[in-house]
This record gives sequence, structure tokens and C-alpha cells, in this order.
Amino acid sequence: MMKHNDTQPIIDPVCGMDLSEFKDLKTVTHAKTKRFFCGSFCKGRYEKAPERYEGEPLMKLSNIWKVFDTGTIKTEVLKGLHLHVWEGDFTVIVGPSGSGKSTTLNMVGLLDRPSSGKIYLKGKDITELDDDRRAELRSRTFGFVFQQYNLIPWLTAEENALLPLVFSTAKANEKMLKHFFGEMVLKDRMEHRPSELSGGEQQRIALLRALVNDPAILLGDEPTGNLDSITGGKILDILIDLHKVHKKTLLIVTHDLNIAKKADQVISFKDGRLVRNGTVHEKLR
Amino acid sequence: MLKKFLILILKGIRYRPIRSWLTILGIVIGIMLVVVILALGDGIQNSIKSTLQMFGSDLIVVFPGKESNPLASLFGGDRFKEKDLTALARIQGVRFVALEDIASMNIEFLGEKKSTLVNGIQWDLAKILMEQSEGIKLESGYWPSDINSSDIIIGNKVAQTLFKKNVHVGDEMIIRGKKMRIAGVLSSIGEQMSDNIILMSINTFRDLTGVRGVAMNADVKLNPDANVNLVAKQIKFELGKQDAVRDFSVLTPAKTERLAGNVLTIIELVLVVIALISLIVGAVGIMNTMYTSVFERTKQIGIMKAIGATNDNILALFLLESGIIGVVGGIIGITFGILMAFLIGLYGERNGIRGLFSFASLDFFGLFVILFLTFVIGVISGLLPARSASKMEPAEALRYE
Repeated sequence: MMKHNDTQPIIDPVCGMDLSEFKDLKTVTHAKTKRFFCGSFCKGRYEKAPERYEGEPLMKLSNIWKVFDTGTIKTEVLKGLHLHVWEGDFTVIVGPSGSGKSTTLNMVGLLDRPSSGKIYLKGKDITELDDDRRAELRSRTFGFVFQQYNLIPWLTAEENALLPLVFSTAKANEKMLKHFFGEMVLKDRMEHRPSELSGGEQQRIALLRALVNDPAILLGDEPTGNLDSITGGKILDILIDLHKVHKKTLLIVTHDLNIAKKADQVISFKDGRLVRNGTVHEKLR
Repeated sequence: MLKKFLILILKGIRYRPIRSWLTILGIVIGIMLVVVILALGDGIQNSIKSTLQMFGSDLIVVFPGKESNPLASLFGGDRFKEKDLTALARIQGVRFVALEDIASMNIEFLGEKKSTLVNGIQWDLAKILMEQSEGIKLESGYWPSDINSSDIIIGNKVAQTLFKKNVHVGDEMIIRGKKMRIAGVLSSIGEQMSDNIILMSINTFRDLTGVRGVAMNADVKLNPDANVNLVAKQIKFELGKQDAVRDFSVLTPAKTERLAGNVLTIIELVLVVIALISLIVGAVGIMNTMYTSVFERTKQIGIMKAIGATNDNILALFLLESGIIGVVGGIIGITFGILMAFLIGLYGERNGIRGLFSFASLDFFGLFVILFLTFVIGVISGLLPARSASKMEPAEALRYE
């Protein structure tokens, strides 16, 4: 059942979690304003750079509900979700199947529309944008990597990698292309079709495709889910490089603990909302 | 961007070549029919006109049966009484009445037997009719004058192609057991029946058939200043009094042209309907292919939208694809249509029908319009499937298995 808040919820400024139902919250007073946190991890992050968290997050999901209605069955996947994604952060989302992780990723990346709630990009409400504007944002702001690679079967590896340029009037980020073509280029494999490439090679092409327009956020839905540990490790190395060297904001849904351990923070999902879990909701070591 | 779209589309079409080509085939057949009709239309009209010219503008033909089926009398066996036909010469404006009878007979030449139509005519009058009214001349030989002789005149194809060996003036042929001598060979008329005809004196004809005092047709030659329609009316009136043939036709040149025009229009209409049905089937084929393509590529539509394709981009991709399928079908259809028209023209030439097809008579502007229409048909056929593809939410499309 959808919740229509008449009063302002208590929001953790770091992770964006709705704390209204919780007691024993951590607090910090900054500039005469009391801030509440879900746990010591978020409190600690805030204390290190309060000015950062007083600004607008790169992406903010506010009271997002998503109901899938098949006509006979209604399924509430997201139930009043609040989430902050900060620029430059490497965030991993974990949770059981059906908890709403992928749906959240689709909301952030404008692949789907919420049933209710608001989505903000750098403080600007982008919830009701028309389809063309959403497509433009997807082209320039978001890069997607999927578990199943999702390459176009009749295009070569190179054509797949450069496909976003077909739909964009913007020029490709030459520096990024040069760097990643250099790093990730499969040399003589670029003329091959996806069916002739291994899973790891396909995922590298998919990553290249996600980066060709130099997006602000890279969204990954189980990017190593179909790969063996060694190949998955190579993909992880690329992600780490993107984050540390190129300062990319990463939001990754994964069950892979190796990825979770490298993240700035791990947030946990359950029943369509963030859960307050002190053990998981912190940087894993 | 258009160039990149076209490359993307062509790669997609080539990925499923069999399905693409089968869809194109539907358009090819329809366009081919349309082009054949256009290419042969003028030729058929000209061929009919040249056939009608044989008729002569100062000639009225009288025969048993309805106007629309002049050959029915051959099988019906109705014959006018000779005296009723010769009486028509008394009508004002009539120069003479040439009697004619026709029957199918077995003929033999150098041991080879065939069956063909034999005309019993009045030599002197037939010569005037053929040379003056119909413009038909002898290629070789002479016009016989003896009405009781066994001289015959044969059509050009009888001389050249009916028998294994060519038949020449002076040769002998056996018709119903009687030896006949070739007096002359007609020049090629360009009409199947006329080029395969055998002419003999009506008296000799009656000797062979054993039937006297009757005639099947009458060719009524008019004076130059005669009123054709008035004479025709008077002929009808006079023949209305006889009781040998109840249903008969009095055919003037204008009526013949009108009849031929009606037949041609009906034939063209039927062909156009067939061609249109074929085109509709082709268009439905494109729509079916595009719907199947949308379903099969739902996930890919989701991928393209995820990386920035707008609804209009997706719409354009599918519309261009269906348009290209239409155009390719159009180009191949036009090519095959011209080829088929050429082959039909060639076949016609070999069978005495001249001028059915010529490259000079092709309407290139019309062909360009057809090509444009095939693109439009392709686009319209793909519109509904393309719209459904463009409207999908990316996440919904990506979830599709």
C-alpha cells in the first residue's frame, strides 16, 4: 500500500535512508542543525566532510514507489525508497532476490518510471521529463553494464562499443576511448561478433560501450554475474580503475563480495527499501 | 546520423537474410505484375488497332451469333441463305457483298497432316477486299480467277511454319482428299488466325463440304460516300426478315473498335486487380515481418534505448528498414517486370503478334513513381510495428526474453 507522507521524513543525508521509523539514531550537529544517521558509518562519513553532504547529491531518489501491475496481480517492488548517490562514490547495493535492487538501478538510470515519488539529478527534478529528454540523459549521463552483456548480435565488437555514438550528436570522449581502447581493446577481436567472443570479452566491450560518451555515473547490474572468478577479477580491476583514476561514480548491484569489498560503501536492500544493517552497511574490509 | 542509421539497418537485414528475402519476394511479385501491365499495355493496344485496321473502314461484316463471340458460329453451324446475303447488294451505299464460308479441314502436305481453317471466298471480290480495304497483299504467286479451279492461296505461316518443309507456289496440297495447287502465298499479316488461313474458291469449298446455297459471313463493301451507320441499320432490317439465322451481328469498324476496347479494359482491370492484390499481400508480408522483427528485437530495442536512442530513433530505424525492404523489392520487381515483358513480346513476335513490347515505349517516369510507391508501401506497412517498438519503456524491453 502506498505511503503518502504528510510530514517530512527524517533522512540520513549520506545514504538517504528514511529514518522515521527508527529509534536510537546517531546524531551530529553542524551549523546549528541536527543531523540524524542510520549508523556510525554514515555518521563518520559526514563528519569527515560535512560541507559535501550539505550540498545536493548527484542522484536523489525520494519516496519512490514502484508497483508492477499485470492486470491480475499487483506487486510492490519499491516501497517508499529514499536513496542518495554522491558524485565520485563507488556504491554497491546488496540484498536478497526480489528486494528491488535492479528496479532501483532502473530508476536511477531512467530506464523505468516510478509509480510515485521524485528523482533528482544534481538537485533538479527529472521525474516527469518526456521520453526524449530521458533518452538524452541516458546517453550523456548514465552508462549501463548488464549481467548478460546485452550486445547487439549482428554488430561487431567495435560497432557495439561505438553504438551510443549512432544515437548521439555529441562527440565521443577521445581521451576515454584512447585510454580504454588501449587498456581494453581486444586487438584482433574487434571485428568479431559477440557470439564469437568469450563472456569476459563481451563484458569488456559492454563496458566500453557504457563509457564511450563519458557518462557521469556507471550503473552495473551484476556485471560479473556470468563470469568466472578470474575474468570477474579483470572486470573488477577495470571498475576500480574507473573509480580511482577517472573519478567515475559507480553504482553496482552485485552478489560478488570481491566487488563489495572494494566499494566506498555497501547499502543493503530488503522489501523494496534500504535496511538499517550496521554490519553490512559500511565499508567492508 | 542517417548514414549511421542506414548502416545499422542494412546490417540488421543481412543478419536474417532468408526472412528478409522472402518478405521482399512478396513485393517483387506484385511490382512485377504492375510493370508487365504497364509495359505491355501500349503494345497490346497497338496490336489490336493494327488488327482492326485489317478490317477496313469501308467494310461491314455480317456473321451469325453475338458480337462478343464471332467465332461461335464456327461451332454453332448457323448459316445464312445465299440469296438473303446477296440481296443486301441492293441497299443504297453498298458497292458489293462478298460471301464467305469457313470450316476446319484436314490438310496434307508431303505426307504430313494438319488441321486448319479453310475459307471459301469469291476470288475477284476477296482480292479487292484484301488489297484495298485490309491492305493485305500476296508475297508470291497470283490471285486465281477461275471459280471452279483447285487453286488455293495460303497464309504466311502455313507456308513457313505449319509444316516441316516450307510450302511454295506451285506445290500441291491435299485437302479432304482433293489435290489443290498453291497459287499464292499471302504476306505476313501479324495476326495468328489470318497467317494460318487457307483461301479457296467458294464453289470448290462447297464441293468439299457438300453444302450449297448457304454462306457463313458476308463482307459488305461500301461506296466511299456511304453512311456506314445507316447502311448497317438497313442491313439489320433486311436480315431481320430472314429466318435461317435468328441471332446475327452486323459489325461496323467503330463497333469493333469499341468491343475491342471493352475487352482490353476488362483484361487490364483484371490484371490490375491481381497486381493490387499481390501488392497488398506483399505489404501484409512486410508488416508481418516487421512485427516479428519487433518481437525478436525487443531486448535490443531496450539496449538501444538504454544507451540513448529516442522513441523517434527507434521509429526511424524500423520505418527505414521496412522502406528499404519495399524499395529493394521494387527495384527487383521492376527489373523482372521489364524482363518478363520483353520475353512476352519476344514470344508474341514468334507467334505473329508484333509490337507488344519495346524498350522505347517504357515510361521511365512511371517506373520511378512505382519505385517511390514501393518505399511508401514499405513504410506504411512497418508503421504499426515501428510505433509499438518505439513506445516500449527501456526496462520493460530489457526484461523481455
